[in-house]
Amino acid sequence: MTSTAQDLHPAPVLEPGRTILELRGLEKKYPGTHALKPVTLAFKAGEIHAIVGENGAGKSTLIKLLTGVMPRTSGEVIWEGKPAALATPHEAMALGINAVHQEVVLCRHLTVAANMFLGEENSRFGILQQRAMVREAQKIIDGLGFDLPAHVTLGDLTIGQQQLIAAARATVRGTKFLIFDEPTAYLTRKEADQLFTLIRRLKSEGVTIIYISHRMEEVFELADRVSVLRDGTLVGTRNISETNDAELVKLMINRSIEQIYHKEHFTPGAAIIEARNLSGKGFENVSMTVRAGEIVGLYGLIGAGRSEFVTTLYGRHRKSAGQILWEGKDVQVNSEHDAIKLGMALAPESRRDQGLCLNLPVGLNLNLPIYKRISNNLLISGAQEKTQADRQIADLRIKTPTRNALASSLSGGNQQKIVIGKWLAHGAKLFIFDEPTVGVDVGTKAEIYRLFSALLSKGAGIILISSYLPEVYELADTLHVFRRGKLVATHGFHTADHEDILTQALAEKQEKLGGKT
Amino acid sequence: MSTEAIPAEKPKRNYNALFGLTLLALLVLLWVILSFSTSSFASANNISNLLRQGSMIAILAVGQTFVIITGGIDLSVGAVVGFATVIAAMLINAGVPVFFAILLTLLVGVAIGLFHGFGIVKMGLPPFIITLATLTSLRGIGLLMTNGNSISINNDAFQEFSRNSFLGIPNLFWMVLLVGIPAYVFLHHSRWGRYLFSVGSNAEASRLSGVNVQRTIFMAYTLSGLCAAFVGVLLASRIGIGNPTQAEGWELQAIASSVIGGTSLFGAVGSVHGPLLGAFILATINNGANLLNVNAFWQRVITGVLIIVIVYFDGLRRRGGK
Repeated sequence: MTSTAQDLHPAPVLEPGRTILELRGLEKKYPGTHALKPVTLAFKAGEIHAIVGENGAGKSTLIKLLTGVMPRTSGEVIWEGKPAALATPHEAMALGINAVHQEVVLCRHLTVAANMFLGEENSRFGILQQRAMVREAQKIIDGLGFDLPAHVTLGDLTIGQQQLIAAARATVRGTKFLIFDEPTAYLTRKEADQLFTLIRRLKSEGVTIIYISHRMEEVFELADRVSVLRDGTLVGTRNISETNDAELVKLMINRSIEQIYHKEHFTPGAAIIEARNLSGKGFENVSMTVRAGEIVGLYGLIGAGRSEFVTTLYGRHRKSAGQILWEGKDVQVNSEHDAIKLGMALAPESRRDQGLCLNLPVGLNLNLPIYKRISNNLLISGAQEKTQADRQIADLRIKTPTRNALASSLSGGNQQKIVIGKWLAHGAKLFIFDEPTVGVDVGTKAEIYRLFSALLSKGAGIILISSYLPEVYELADTLHVFRRGKLVATHGFHTADHEDILTQALAEKQEKLGGKT
Repeated sequence: MSTEAIPAEKPKRNYNALFGLTLLALLVLLWVILSFSTSSFASANNISNLLRQGSMIAILAVGQTFVIITGGIDLSVGAVVGFATVIAAMLINAGVPVFFAILLTLLVGVAIGLFHGFGIVKMGLPPFIITLATLTSLRGIGLLMTNGNSISINNDAFQEFSRNSFLGIPNLFWMVLLVGIPAYVFLHHSRWGRYLFSVGSNAEASRLSGVNVQRTIFMAYTLSGLCAAFVGVLLASRIGIGNPTQAEGWELQAIASSVIGGTSLFGAVGSVHGPLLGAFILATINNGANLLNVNAFWQRVITGVLIIVIVYFDGLRRRGGK
């Protein structure tokens, strides 16, 4: 930690390298939990400071304290040399502290322009100057290099695009200190690159950035310094040039990086499901087979047709042409119900929207697919309901006070374990995991991957969809690459390198990625 | 591994039981206060009367609660009650045996509920709209059928039923138990009950977990329609006439009872005992206000204030519990 206490004079414009924000023993206690143990840390003006740590390590708590969403228990925050109370979000914003959250918190029904100026509308004599605002918004968006229209409804954009708008919005408000909370969780690589360009540009304009991410390569690509939180304690701050992946991961979880991607190879058995020239909304002419004991990875950009393909397998959408064969037999899957009866299980992409009943107990969520089995014609067996739920909670090490706690009270990683765990007791043969580790910390990731192996060893097959290449690359026995609704390439385990796969997913050579701009 | 920031939340069931006890305490408190402040409240006659008054709304509230748990609302129940009195009266006067007349009337309620399910699931109409539509049109159909007149029921045995008591307790109150106990088992101990909650919480997640969401919604509205038709039969028995304009505004009393009983209008939160207690709390307030010679207009105001106060404290506690 750099101590710059002697030059804490309030200056109108801070030179790069001066301390803009200093935390002195910042601490937060919830009833029963010490979420953030006293943290002392100084942020320099114009730096990109990454913060990494597992879910529950205290990152979100830190953000909430800095943005005034929650009051601190003790400690001091010094902003530009003066103590700041940061008691309300309004106060934080007035100082110039803003945050871009992982989940977009904007009005989906309003236009992009209306969202950009929400709360600071341009009006003349009380009448909104709508056209002027659209023009102005378009200028800002174009200036940032995003290829997005300002007049469309925000909800019509992809989540990734909405995230870019949220970031753009934060930049137009005299922000001096901007916090990004896992901004790329739902972004395609191209969108992420646009965001990185924006972040670097903000840095060059003197804005201080806190960048929170689970993705190590992003941290190394962007950040100047990185701080590691573990169990609510700041365990270290490093200059990015003086550290590496392995050291950070070790600081975060006390475990080495090789132990995360846990891959066991099984001899593939009989085919479980086969798609023959399957077409449907968003994809066409896709053929593939999943055999017992193998992981089939589907890689591609968001919108490349991967999710549409699996939801069609799962009966959510109708196929327009082609065949689905289940264990060699031609089947019609007309509803999710049919799919589940055959032996499929889907852990969907968005756990909040599709995966969980958030305001219901953990136990009910875990048992939802198997209520038929644990009840007779009339009544649920209370004893079985309890033992089934408790077994999953123990097996998956879901951190919850009891099975009666609401799903919403759990952290993201533990919620994801419920989404997966509810299918374990059900005993499916084909598991479809759509982005299973989005917003999940390294430790939970490792547990989820271990779970894959356990499923495979029992003779199940897995379809793994991921936008995160290392994940499918390290885990998939067969890797299919999707681009614009078509299956464009197929690889075996480690038979192609990252560059080739990326190029196949993107097609256009100039979009080849990896380096800094 | 890290220690997660899990808020120390109390288990849900304890909370439900606690809230139920609070409501029960409120009801008992009201009864004690009224027993001391009026001479006539504690009389057997008045208590019987009170139980009769509360029973019909209580049954409506149970059906309504099923619907609200799925995240919907059934505005038609009052109109269904009125319409059912007409159907029952016409059938009985036409010489249909009482048992079959009741059965047919209940089937009409089921049919109305199925229609609501159809409108919501198949036509994609919001529950508020489709049930509002049946609310007005059912009253209209009833008026067309009766030419705007009341139909007197010529069957004494049918009317006796609602006036009689069994073991000193009015028959109408026994009907609350007849509906309430199976409803409790259904909601809290059957998988269909679980599905009502899961659909109300997240329909998409339920669908992907293999729950038949459409059937669950059909079921909720059908049960609400059935409860309403049953109340219609009871009302016909009590007042001895069939009249489509009866039970005006009962849908709002049913919703109020449900909400006072802890049901969340956002869905996925509710019980059976809550709405029952809620209905009798409302009935007690009306009854007590009558005995205390409080202006009838004030009773409406008091009911409104009570809804705000109870729901506010309930919300406070839910948030505080986190």
